Amino acid sequence: MEGISKYFPENRVQANRNVNLVVKKNEIHAIVGENGAGKSTLMKILYGLERPDKGRIVLNGKQVSIHSPMDANRLGIGMVHQHFRLIREFTVAENVVLGIEPKKNGLFFNRDKSVRDVRSVIEKYGFNINSESRVADLTVGQMQQVEIVKMLYRKADLLILDEPTSVLTEQEINRLFDNIRELKNQGKTFIIITHKLDEVKEISDRVTVMRRGEVVAVKETENVDQKELAKLMVGKSVLFKLKKDPVSPGAVVLELKNVSLKLKRQERPLLDRIDLKVRAGEIVGVAGVGGNGLGELEDVVTGLFKVSEGEIFYKGENITGLPASKFREKELGYVPADRLNRGSCLDSTVRENMIITRHHDFLKAGVFNQKKISVFVNNLFKSYSITGDTSVPIGTLSGGNIQKVILARELATNAELIIFSEPTWGLDVASGEFVYENILKLRKNGIAVLLISSNLDEIMNLADRIVVMYRGRITGRFTNDKSISKALIGEYMMGVRNDFN
Amino acid sequence: MKLIVKRKKNPENIFVNIFSLSVTMGIAFLIVIVLILFLSKDPAKTIRYFFIGPFLNRYYFGNMLNSAIPLIFTGLGIAIAFKASTFNLGGEGQVYSGALAATAVCLALPEANGFIGGSLAILAAIGVGAVLAGLSGLFKMKWGTDELISSFLISGAVVLIVNYFITGPMDDPANNLLTTREIAKQYRFMQIFPPSKLDISIFFAVLTAFLVFFFMFYTHWGYEMRMCGLNREFSRYGGIKVKFYLVLPMILSGSFQGLAGAVSVMGTYHMSVKGFSFGMGWNGIAVALIARNNPLAVIPAAIFFAYIEAGASAAMIHSDVTFEIAAIVESIIYFLITAQALKDFIRYRKRRTE
Repeated sequence: MEGISKYFPENRVQANRNVNLVVKKNEIHAIVGENGAGKSTLMKILYGLERPDKGRIVLNGKQVSIHSPMDANRLGIGMVHQHFRLIREFTVAENVVLGIEPKKNGLFFNRDKSVRDVRSVIEKYGFNINSESRVADLTVGQMQQVEIVKMLYRKADLLILDEPTSVLTEQEINRLFDNIRELKNQGKTFIIITHKLDEVKEISDRVTVMRRGEVVAVKETENVDQKELAKLMVGKSVLFKLKKDPVSPGAVVLELKNVSLKLKRQERPLLDRIDLKVRAGEIVGVAGVGGNGLGELEDVVTGLFKVSEGEIFYKGENITGLPASKFREKELGYVPADRLNRGSCLDSTVRENMIITRHHDFLKAGVFNQKKISVFVNNLFKSYSITGDTSVPIGTLSGGNIQKVILARELATNAELIIFSEPTWGLDVASGEFVYENILKLRKNGIAVLLISSNLDEIMNLADRIVVMYRGRITGRFTNDKSISKALIGEYMMGVRNDFN
Repeated sequence: MKLIVKRKKNPENIFVNIFSLSVTMGIAFLIVIVLILFLSKDPAKTIRYFFIGPFLNRYYFGNMLNSAIPLIFTGLGIAIAFKASTFNLGGEGQVYSGALAATAVCLALPEANGFIGGSLAILAAIGVGAVLAGLSGLFKMKWGTDELISSFLISGAVVLIVNYFITGPMDDPANNLLTTREIAKQYRFMQIFPPSKLDISIFFAVLTAFLVFFFMFYTHWGYEMRMCGLNREFSRYGGIKVKFYLVLPMILSGSFQGLAGAVSVMGTYHMSVKGFSFGMGWNGIAVALIARNNPLAVIPAAIFFAYIEAGASAAMIHSDVTFEIAAIVESIIYFLITAQALKDFIRYRKRRTE
């Protein structure tokens, strides 16, 4: 891939900037980088799911144009997505042949032949699944094998695996790596997207490091250690001009005791025995790379997901297991990572979006007092310097403006705790700074802030204490002072270090 | 730092909607005219009766408005459910059983005061409709059963049960028709436009549409319901009890269906006749689609439906058009217009889920 560039005008993100990627035949090539580094976009371009603005793709010496996954399949490129694309009620064989089924008399589905063919693929490459079992009965690791078999059945020689280990247990990971090595021996080439550096070391031959849409390094895996990779991934610290007043934290506002979250049929817990305290007037930053439990932590502390084990206390009161509506009655503010679906209702007006958390305050005998709403909304518009019409659907605003509306709404509650998740993701610099100023203002006013973010600069600049999560577990706890460095936190984030093993 | 909130083109613009709907209507009418040219020996007369028949005399005009009344109620009921993104396909059974419930109460209290007994009858109809639709909402809440399917199936069974009562235990032995006995005089709504059957409940229907509009856009239940309909995740995040709004809209929707049944009995038919309400439930869905689920737009949409029906029957009586041809003409119009409305509805939903 040469000189690939891709810009997303909707959220103004330059996902790839002049990226060159060279993958040699029969090697295992890892691509590492933080969230939003542009790894997935690059792979989607290679697999025909996105079109590049600039650049070209050369395969085996010939320039090719890939418009769709079908084109990619024809050229021998297969991709296994992070989220499996399988039909649960179908058997393994049915899933594998779907779309290119063998036919009987040119018309009917040839079940016997598909079972036979799939079985021979499974045996040839040494997988451990039965082609006639129902996918719904398989474990997550086996489902992934089905996905790989699906690509092999389509005669893929280059396989792209997008974060293949994120849902697997240790044993399943070992098993996957065995499969990958076996496939390599039989002449296949792999591109593996990941941000787990120990896995990079273990499985890959070469590694490309991406940061903010660009390639920052290409290394032979044996010549580079995990610490160096971690440093390359996170980059140098970006210092903001933020004025942080010294503040002494007060009483504990939020406390998580031994909180775990486990899904059905999934061996590995998404959250594993999390202990966490947030005090009044302090910012606790939870750092981690996406897929390591940050999103799940966000969901459980806001009551949208029920914990499987453990307890959550808010101002000393046990709020474990309360429904989401009761959480809101406790008056906590929450700026979610998913601001377009969870944080706002794109089809309703800015005005209606602004009152969702406290619309009960504007009622008189069940009927809205429109004047009172106008006063409230106009005040927020003034104090957050938003101008314009409040009666347009919020979906017509830019991402930065939507985040401002959400911020205004959540900070307008009398909350003693505000939870931020990825508060500046995808925002331009000015909007981002606006968010930071407001977070620091909250801290000054003695409000407890839980900041969940995969943006390490953000955490390092704002947080008083830092908690690092890796694979659903807390791997490090720090006081944010001069003794820690970004590289050090990066090593915890990538699973290179762990204080609680 | 200042941020400017720019106004972009709003795809829900009401004038765009009205324009596109008018074009479809024009096409539908053109097809009807062509059909009549082929099928009728005296096309000029047929076309005349079809289009202006409903306005020719008081009788036709009043009856047209009268048949719009139940459609306003069923249309409102469906619009409420749609607004909350719940689906009530059980209108047929809910209207029919509501009618039977109202008839039963009136027949059980032949001597009671008209207002008290009448109110009881209406409440019974509302209750039956609400329970039938509410069940589907409850199943959805408890077990995630698709309310679209369950309301349809429940309705299918209920129709048969109502048939049994009308033709069995409640059948009027004095005549050979498949009807119940007539309800007592004090329960019949006052007729306001003789010789037509139009009765005072038309005012009640219009008032109800305004009330539903107020409910949807000015009360907190309406707000929470609409928010749940637009984005359940956001509503849950905002602290709304989203599960409650799987049930409430269904209950309200069923209530209006039951009400439509009661009004048909007490205003027009004065008894329950086997199959007399068939079509009201389905047409309510079409009315709601054309009205884009706006309660106030339900009124003209229902009158439009009644107009087509009245036109077809006027053409049938005064010219050589048979019942079948009238039915074909009617269905072509329904088909085109609901297809248009449905298309916009689907596009709207798709945009939302993206």
